[in-house]
Amino acid sequence: MTLQQDRSGWLTARGVGKRFAIAGREVRALAGLDLDIASGEFIAILGASGCGKSTLLRLFAGLETPDEGEVRHAGARISGPSLARGIVFQEHRLFPWLTVAQNVEAALLNAPGSKPAKRQTATELIALVGLSGFEGAYPHQLSGGMAQRAAIARGLVNRPDTLLLDEPFGALDALTRAHLQRELRRIWQRQRTTTLLVTHDVDEALLLGERVVVMTPRPGRIARIFALPPELPRDHADPDFARLRGKILATLDAGPAVPAAGLTEHAA
Amino acid sequence: MSLALSLPEAAPPRSVRWPRWPVALLLPALLLAAWQIASQRGWIAPGILPAPGEVWLTLRELWESGDLASHAAWSMGRVVQGFLLGAAGGLLLGTAMALSPRFEAYVRPSFLAIAQVPVIGWVPLLMLPLGIEEVLKLVILTKAALVPVTLNTRDGLRAVPQRWVEVALAFRYSRAQLLRHVVLPAAVPPVFTGLRYGLTSCWKALVAVELLASSEGLGYLLVWGRQMFQMDLVIAGILVIAAIGFAFDAVLARIEARLQRWRAA
Amino acid sequence: MSAADRLRGLVLPLLLLAAWQGAVTAGYGDPRLLPPPVEVLRRAWQLLVAEDLPLALAISLGRCLAGFALGALLGLGFGLLCGLSRAADRLLGPAFHALKNVAVFAWIPLIAMWFGFGEASRIAFVTLAVLTPVALNVWEGVAGVPKPLLEVGAAFRFGGWQRLARIRLPAALPAILTGLQLGLIHAWLATVGAEYFLAKGTGLGGVLIEGRDKFDMALVLLGILLLGGIGLLLNQLLTRLAARLAPWRAA
Ligand SMILES: Nc1ncnc2c1ncn2[C@@H]1O[C@H](COP(=O)(O)OP(=O)(O)OP(=O)(O)O)[C@@H](O)[C@H]1O
Ligand SMILES: [Mg+2]
Repeated sequence: MTLQQDRSGWLTARGVGKRFAIAGREVRALAGLDLDIASGEFIAILGASGCGKSTLLRLFAGLETPDEGEVRHAGARISGPSLARGIVFQEHRLFPWLTVAQNVEAALLNAPGSKPAKRQTATELIALVGLSGFEGAYPHQLSGGMAQRAAIARGLVNRPDTLLLDEPFGALDALTRAHLQRELRRIWQRQRTTTLLVTHDVDEALLLGERVVVMTPRPGRIARIFALPPELPRDHADPDFARLRGKILATLDAGPAVPAAGLTEHAA
Repeated sequence: MSLALSLPEAAPPRSVRWPRWPVALLLPALLLAAWQIASQRGWIAPGILPAPGEVWLTLRELWESGDLASHAAWSMGRVVQGFLLGAAGGLLLGTAMALSPRFEAYVRPSFLAIAQVPVIGWVPLLMLPLGIEEVLKLVILTKAALVPVTLNTRDGLRAVPQRWVEVALAFRYSRAQLLRHVVLPAAVPPVFTGLRYGLTSCWKALVAVELLASSEGLGYLLVWGRQMFQMDLVIAGILVIAAIGFAFDAVLARIEARLQRWRAA
Repeated sequence: MSAADRLRGLVLPLLLLAAWQGAVTAGYGDPRLLPPPVEVLRRAWQLLVAEDLPLALAISLGRCLAGFALGALLGLGFGLLCGLSRAADRLLGPAFHALKNVAVFAWIPLIAMWFGFGEASRIAFVTLAVLTPVALNVWEGVAGVPKPLLEVGAAFRFGGWQRLARIRLPAALPAILTGLQLGLIHAWLATVGAEYFLAKGTGLGGVLIEGRDKFDMALVLLGILLLGGIGLLLNQLLTRLAARLAPWRAA
């Protein structure tokens, strides 16, 4: 076996389907979805609102189980959450009754290590997301962006081998967002944590991802996967970058037009 | 600094801003004055509404003779006992119901049936076997506290938002950890609402039982005043009841605020 | 709720019934205090078909609704006034909040002295019992409309009336309905309470007194059943209505 083969198949989805019932009607959130993510890879997932990005991420997190097919992590079937897969939700979901530091430490409750060591780790991650000095603040005392950064620190604190991020920068201002994007890239380059980033933002996907997965809605499936050449300059002015950007946008647009009564299309 | 200097001392008032306290007292003071004048002029018969001064005198007399303290002590003692018993039982029962659907299935219908019948229904029923002594009062007051505490505890523990439960799942909390680190803190506000409500309901029930069957306590003071046609005594009693009810609630509100510093102000 | 759960719910009441019957059979306790269950049932049936009880119920319900209507109207008016007008809030608020601490039954001696022991006094008591929860909830509902919603109105340049009709009232509707619902429960309790304290044997409260005085356990039990059952019914009625009027309100 070559090294290349060893790396692939770290995180996989095979024929995954997921249905929800909304107001008595069945909605197919995902259907026949295949995805193969190599260890250490950075995958960006793009898609229109409601196409099942969060659902896919929650399947990998082990918070949902697929109705069809299966999801695997490091060869084992995912049957529930694991500390090896860190998650940052679309909303920050900090516990309002805990301070920032306590929230980050709460993720370490079932991790090995002494209490002081955990405290130390938490402090480091809080510093990493630029919240030093706010360790004692309660969530309601933070801005939306600060709360989201605390949530990112919480997702990273277990040093997971796989990081699942659901639009983590959606609530941030452009400056903070750019800063955190750089930080995330740096963390990834240093630790090679396998990362799945769900985003609405094509530029963010192109900036961070090694591969960009474009999904289309109703039912959610993968329209196309773009592998970015490693030497691609992450720069708007670059012609290759611009071409790729155009292609991705075209793929997003080409998805089936959203029917007015989206729910009725797959009525059970 | 320069920023502060560039701002005016205070924002120009949009409407006339009245200071709080004087305004709050304005109406009661006016009413009181009108009431006093009307009584002095004989516009209101003292049997209908005695002058405020007279009520004040009665209050002072009650205070100085020690009657007030002794009646209030009886009432408060009953309430504290009933509340402690009922609240402890309610916390246990509510927690058990929230944690075990099976237990809840057995107990809930009977509990709701008991809860549905108000104090005024239980008094005549329980009077037959229990008589009108302290046991009756204790049972009634315990029930008065038990019901809201149980319901709020159960609902509070059950209704912990899914979004927080999922976070706990993602970090692989055990059932005990989920309970201790997520469910309990999230349930503090509704549980406390239940406790406050339980205490209020205890106090209300107390007045009812004391009106019905008692030879001491603030409720009895009211009955006595009415029988003697001493309107001043009745009004004095009502005032004391309001004040103690308010104090009870204020104490719990204080504790509640302490426990929930994390809530947005 | 599953069928099994429903059966489980029956276990406790059946056990109680069995214990009761067992105690009677074994000859424990005063037979006047502990008549056999069958006897109670028989007696209850007799009472239900006789004319007195339905009449007593009709009287009580009428009283309850009259007091409720009066109290709800006053409570709505007062709550809206204080919730919408800062001046009213400042002026009337403290006095109201002080008075609401009076346990409601404490008003009974006062009401008795003012209105005597007649119908007026009973209605007055029910009205008073309804007024407080209605006023409080309306007040808080109207005053506590979330600022973001009001800002939407400001952004679309709503006028005062538009803000009231399009934002404040709809946003406060769930709270208002809660207040009315509480008010109705209180009305029913206060009705029976008034009959118990302020009457010589009319309505359902009168039935309870009669049962107690005659040591008639069956009568007391029946009275309690009706007291609880009707309360439940009234509450469900309003819950349904509220769900219709404000479907967006969380269950
Ligand atoms: N718990 C749920 N119950 C019912 N339907 C759900 C649930 N979760 C997701 N869905 C449905 O599944 C579909 C996909 O939802 P999902 O949250 O995965 O979308 P998304 O791509 O993350 O959208 P967005 O970009 O807006 O976050 C939607 O049609 C949604 O209505
Ligand atoms: Mg999503």
